[in-house]
Amino acid sequence: LPGKWYAQMYILPLEFKEAHQVLCLFLFLSTLGFVELTIFPTVANLNRIKLNSKQCRIYRVRINDLEAAFIYNDPTLEVCHNESKQRNLNYFSNAYAAAVSAVDPDAGNGELCIKVPSELWKHVDELKVLKIHINFSLDQPKGGLHFVVPSVEGSMAERGAHVFSCGYQNSTRFWFPCVDSYSELCTWKLEFTVDAAMVAVSNGDLVETVYTHDMRKKTFHYMLTIPTAASNISLAIGPFEILVDPYMHEVTHFCLPQLLPLLKHTTSYLHEVFEFYEEILTCRYPYSCFKTVFIDEAYVEVAAYASMSIFSTNLLHSAMIIDETPLTRRCLAQSLAQQFFGCFISRMSWSDEWVLKGISGYIYGLWMKKTFGVNEYRHWIKEELDKIVAYELKTGGVLLHPIFGGGKEKDNPASHLHFSIKHPHTLSWEYYTMFQCKAHLVMRLIENRISMEFMLQVFNKLLSLASTASSQKFQSHMWSQMLVSTSGFLKSISNVSGKDIQPLIKQWVDQSGVVKFYGSFAFNRKRNVLELEIKQDYTSPGTQKYVGPLKVTVQELDGSFNHTLQIEENSLKHDIPCHSKSRRNKKKKIPLMNGEEVDMDLSAMDADSPLLWIRIDPDMSVLRKVEFEQADFMWQYQLRYERDVVAQQESILALEKFPTPASRLALTDILEQEQCFYRVRMSACFCLAKIANSMVSTWTGPPAMKSLFTRMFCCKTCPNIVKTNNFMSFQSYFLQKTMPVAMALLRDVHNLCPKEVLTFILDLIKYNDNRKNKFSDNYYRAEMIDALANSVTPAVSVNNEVRTLDNLNPDVRLILEEITRFLNMEKLLPSYRHTITVSCLRAIRVLQKNGHVPSDPALFKSYAEYGHFVDIRIAALEAVVDYTKVDRSYEELQWLLNMIQNDPVPYVRHKILNMLTKNPPFTKNMESPLCNEALVDQLWKLMNSGTSHDWRLRCGAVDLYFTLFGLSRPSCLPLPELGLVLNLKEKKAVLNPTIIPEAIAGNQEAAINPSSHAQLVGFQNPEDDHLAKEASCNMSAHQQGVKRKADTPLGSPLEPGQILEKNEDSSKVKLKIRFSNSQDEEEIDMDTVHDSQAFISHHLNMLERPSTPGKEQSPLEMSMHPVAAAPLSVFTKEPVSSKHSDHHHHHHHEHKKKKKKHKHKHKHKHKHDGKEKDKEPFSFSSPASGRSVHSPSLSD
Amino acid sequence: MADTAATRSGSKQSTNPADNYHLARRRTLQVVVSSLLTEAGFESAEKASVETLTEMLQSYISEIGRSAKSYCEHTARTQPTLSDIVVTLVEMGFNVDTLPAYAKRSQRMVITAPPVTNQPVTPKALTAGQNRPHPPHIPSHFPEFPDPHTYIKTPTYREPVSDYQVLREKAASQRRDVERALTRFMAKTGETQSLFKDDVSTFPLIAARPFTIPYLTALLPSELEMQQMEETDSSEQDEQTDTENLPLHISTDDSGAEKENTSVLQQNPSLSGSRNGEETVIDNPYLRPVKKPKIRRKK
Repeated sequence: LPGKWYAQMYILPLEFKEAHQVLCLFLFLSTLGFVELTIFPTVANLNRIKLNSKQCRIYRVRINDLEAAFIYNDPTLEVCHNESKQRNLNYFSNAYAAAVSAVDPDAGNGELCIKVPSELWKHVDELKVLKIHINFSLDQPKGGLHFVVPSVEGSMAERGAHVFSCGYQNSTRFWFPCVDSYSELCTWKLEFTVDAAMVAVSNGDLVETVYTHDMRKKTFHYMLTIPTAASNISLAIGPFEILVDPYMHEVTHFCLPQLLPLLKHTTSYLHEVFEFYEEILTCRYPYSCFKTVFIDEAYVEVAAYASMSIFSTNLLHSAMIIDETPLTRRCLAQSLAQQFFGCFISRMSWSDEWVLKGISGYIYGLWMKKTFGVNEYRHWIKEELDKIVAYELKTGGVLLHPIFGGGKEKDNPASHLHFSIKHPHTLSWEYYTMFQCKAHLVMRLIENRISMEFMLQVFNKLLSLASTASSQKFQSHMWSQMLVSTSGFLKSISNVSGKDIQPLIKQWVDQSGVVKFYGSFAFNRKRNVLELEIKQDYTSPGTQKYVGPLKVTVQELDGSFNHTLQIEENSLKHDIPCHSKSRRNKKKKIPLMNGEEVDMDLSAMDADSPLLWIRIDPDMSVLRKVEFEQADFMWQYQLRYERDVVAQQESILALEKFPTPASRLALTDILEQEQCFYRVRMSACFCLAKIANSMVSTWTGPPAMKSLFTRMFCCKTCPNIVKTNNFMSFQSYFLQKTMPVAMALLRDVHNLCPKEVLTFILDLIKYNDNRKNKFSDNYYRAEMIDALANSVTPAVSVNNEVRTLDNLNPDVRLILEEITRFLNMEKLLPSYRHTITVSCLRAIRVLQKNGHVPSDPALFKSYAEYGHFVDIRIAALEAVVDYTKVDRSYEELQWLLNMIQNDPVPYVRHKILNMLTKNPPFTKNMESPLCNEALVDQLWKLMNSGTSHDWRLRCGAVDLYFTLFGLSRPSCLPLPELGLVLNLKEKKAVLNPTIIPEAIAGNQEAAINPSSHAQLVGFQNPEDDHLAKEASCNMSAHQQGVKRKADTPLGSPLEPGQILEKNEDSSKVKLKIRFSNSQDEEEIDMDTVHDSQAFISHHLNMLERPSTPGKEQSPLEMSMHPVAAAPLSVFTKEPVSSKHSDHHHHHHHEHKKKKKKHKHKHKHKHKHDGKEKDKEPFSFSSPASGRSVHSPSLSD
Repeated sequence: MADTAATRSGSKQSTNPADNYHLARRRTLQVVVSSLLTEAGFESAEKASVETLTEMLQSYISEIGRSAKSYCEHTARTQPTLSDIVVTLVEMGFNVDTLPAYAKRSQRMVITAPPVTNQPVTPKALTAGQNRPHPPHIPSHFPEFPDPHTYIKTPTYREPVSDYQVLREKAASQRRDVERALTRFMAKTGETQSLFKDDVSTFPLIAARPFTIPYLTALLPSELEMQQMEETDSSEQDEQTDTENLPLHISTDDSGAEKENTSVLQQNPSLSGSRNGEETVIDNPYLRPVKKPKIRRKK
């Protein structure tokens, strides 16, 4: 990348010492360490080095043993300043994106800016090696490293205390200073000194373990010789039990004390995953060792880092557990796929992320296909496709490969979203999940286009290039082979396959949106032609137009035929000739797609037509949603005879609309068919329940599925008693679990659950007997409770009477009896993952919601407390969230918000926000007593400064804010009466920023003049709406500066060397800034500085270095954020100078600064004006005019 | 002291005739012991020593009685005679000849005969049914037959439950009752939560209590399940030990089997190198011993 100040780092010895008290006194967790980076300058005039660092307290920086001055500023700590009354999300998102890019390592930025001592300039000019040595400490980190310290008696090791690194995307900067980017590779030496009872697991090979002199601690020395990005570095320390994999001795597994038997069982399968990937990629696992660590309170279930993966301990299971086993195996396989693509091969930039996620997801899919079979694989693809389609249609699209041109479109190629997609850290978690989902689906589309063989060859090529590169000594151009980029990947594809996939890439990668097809058909008997009409909707949000081939499969009496239609701009109708005449071959067997020939009862079909069923895009080779119309009997034939599980699934969905006895029969037949895929049978259950409810008046016989269940799972002699459990056949196990749940959804003519069904389920519970079963029945019992909950219907209430025990419905009494017993038994004999408690809590909430039991959150709140198993907590919190919504309880909302801020488990905090977003107490267009100014302020504060330690959480808070208030200013905020606010202290007036009429919010922001010296800002409405909006994000920052100034204390000047501390509720910034060339020290309260970028550039530009100004800084950053960077220095300047104004020593210096700064500003202004002059209806006022009151030169 | 003991026991007299009888005998013995002591010249004695001596005396007399009875039964009699007692005393090492002289010694104290108390009547066992008379071949002096219920077989006519349905029914309701009772008990003895504000007893929920290490209870199988697992596990464990041995086999003849084992051996040349050295030990850095610190020279 041009303009970067370093080429590569090589050997990055890092010593990371963990003081003993870290794990002894957990109230004072602290970590001491130092990093040493060796860098090769690539440009001669390198005079400052920017690194990423968050939370770390940096004591000292030395470069080649010379003390180096450094400044630290993190604009993401507080995105917008508190004083601002701005409350609209547009403004925040822009400011947040600007703040994140101000420290983005890929753009050469960072929170920590180190000045190269002047003595070394010559050294640098010769492009010689620099060794940077940083001493730092970490006090009670709130993110990045997570400490789990159970509060029991005993030493830390006995208590099972542990710590691990975690985070969303590149988050390594939270625990040590580094270039926190996926694209900067270097080799590593890592040292961790920990308590002797602990094990430190990290990346690379464990070279040796050495006791410290007092023999009470151990130092683990790790060496990672494969160049690795800092973001792929991880750490886990704890009193782990160690298991060497019996099949692969270089693989080591770690778990918390007492869990070793579970670990043994859980990981016993891993070697097969290894074998699979190595075989298909024809490439050895790239690292010399692999470690899996299972920890508690995990941030995510699976996190892959270089040569190690960190898993949630809740994935461990014993041999008795059925349901968790495939899930855990999937997690293991997923993490291993990411070892190849994601850890070993890293990415060039954020916009190339889709390639890594795509490939790892794709090969994981291949593993699924091999392990669980084609049915499961296709079902999974269909599920993922439905998910991404639903999400894109809801939100307006997921863009895999965003290209950020300069200029006007720099802002947001995805303007439909409430966040910027320019950085991973501004991305909503849900969006990112969907992004990954789309990425692997697109990889599959590429495979469809170029064949799997070529696909695997491409992967192999990427890997072998990377492994050749990795074995080389430091050579920047070689190591870049280990980074994948979109263009490199595409080039590789075209080299290997010789095929042009550009249209495909353009459609799905460079562009967001999915395709929405509507299909219908008519059969022309005369011509024996099928007239197919396919329409597209490409105007609604999240859709795009599809042009190209589309496969249609037609099952006729004579067989199945594929047709490829060319979808073009204007052609809607397609004529497809049919091969068979209707009803000619009555007796013949009918050949299916897979070559199978079957007998069919053809009586149901239309006598004039040979068509059995039609499928559009059966291979899912387009990211689409198809709504196809065909007759009910065709769907029924498709369900019965089409062998593709996706087709069966689709027909089940379609049959919901045809509640007829024929549909009933088709579904029942499928249910009974042993060969049929179990997931299809499971969804048939629910469809059957829906059909039965629609046919309730004409339904004959016992309730749906009852006789079936009896036949399959009950004793021959006594049909009301279920057989003793035997879950050896997993298919029937899943069916046995699901059927009662679906049956409970049946309703009689009064819309009540039939008494017969309830008795049936109660009997199942009563006669459940697991004594002879090899497997645990905890999931089965949990589903029985779910079934009970499903059977609950709203209570008939007379005059809103209070719910008491006396007027309890007798059926509900029975249900409650079971729930009570189950919930109490859980206390004595807890089930695996407390599945039963979870189901009980959900069922209680259902009873409350339906008015059978008084609505009360107290029970859930007690289960939501820290110390319960996480699944229980989430279930309880879900109930509280629901209660908050239904009862509009301000108190509970506050309780939840408090938990979001204070809960020790990051996952729970994230989940609460997520659940509140999914089930919001109110939305933007809703009147609600909960929606008030205090809440707006609270949430604003939460996303503005309260969540700076966790990207995911902050993005979650943004999502919630968006759901509650939308993009513009929340409607509940009062409209202030005064348009202008006079600031008497400063003798100036600014527009009251709280006035933001919704529609022109953007304009208003734009209207605020960016000059700090223009004190009076009138409200005007520029004509050009969109232009103003565009400028708004930049202006808004300036407004900050204006406001800020007023609050800057003009008090006593600071002595040199004095450290100014400003304590805020959430963060404490303590900085010491040295300018070594002036031999002075200035202390600056960084809170008064809004934008680090500007601040840093400002100060650095002051340094008398002829080669500096603008050369690297300006072109790069100006283009990235034309306004945000430079002019801000003006404002930051002001407090500094006022503070020091009477300090003699500084005086001269200050003047110099001022001058320089003005020059700089002018320069920038020109640039800015030049760029937008033709359209911009206003110009900025002169910044030079110190205290004079300027009316803004805005005019229409 | 003896008196107080006597009075204390006297207070119990009215309560139990059998006790009363034995206590009277014992008191006499105590008086005897006391008079013997006085005779021997003691002025006073601690209660404990008197008691001990009484105990010894009693044992001695009992032994005489027991032994004498044995001798008499040995000769097929039921009542001991004087000669039986003499033999007994001889057997116990007592010089019988000195006895008349001792009995006639001058300073002997005469104590009153113990009050005549009736031997307590042992209550008769409840008789049930008519005792059977002796059959002719049993002499009449033999003891009577016991009550008929002790030896007569009483056939019952209820068949054991073997019906599947009933068994299941029973097992289910039994388990349910036990669970219900147990949980109710737990709920009564501990803190509870309730779904209804006006009623806390109908559906008592045992209060939720957070754990310090919640994942342990959630993940580890209960002891009951663990037992079951061990039973099924034994076969699996056998397999596991087999496979654990597998790499060892390969590495011993690894020149021939290299192809199969490539992933293990060639992956890391340094690893395979060390493996050749110590073939039977799994070489994993986490299993290596921790090194002692090097002595560092302080600069």
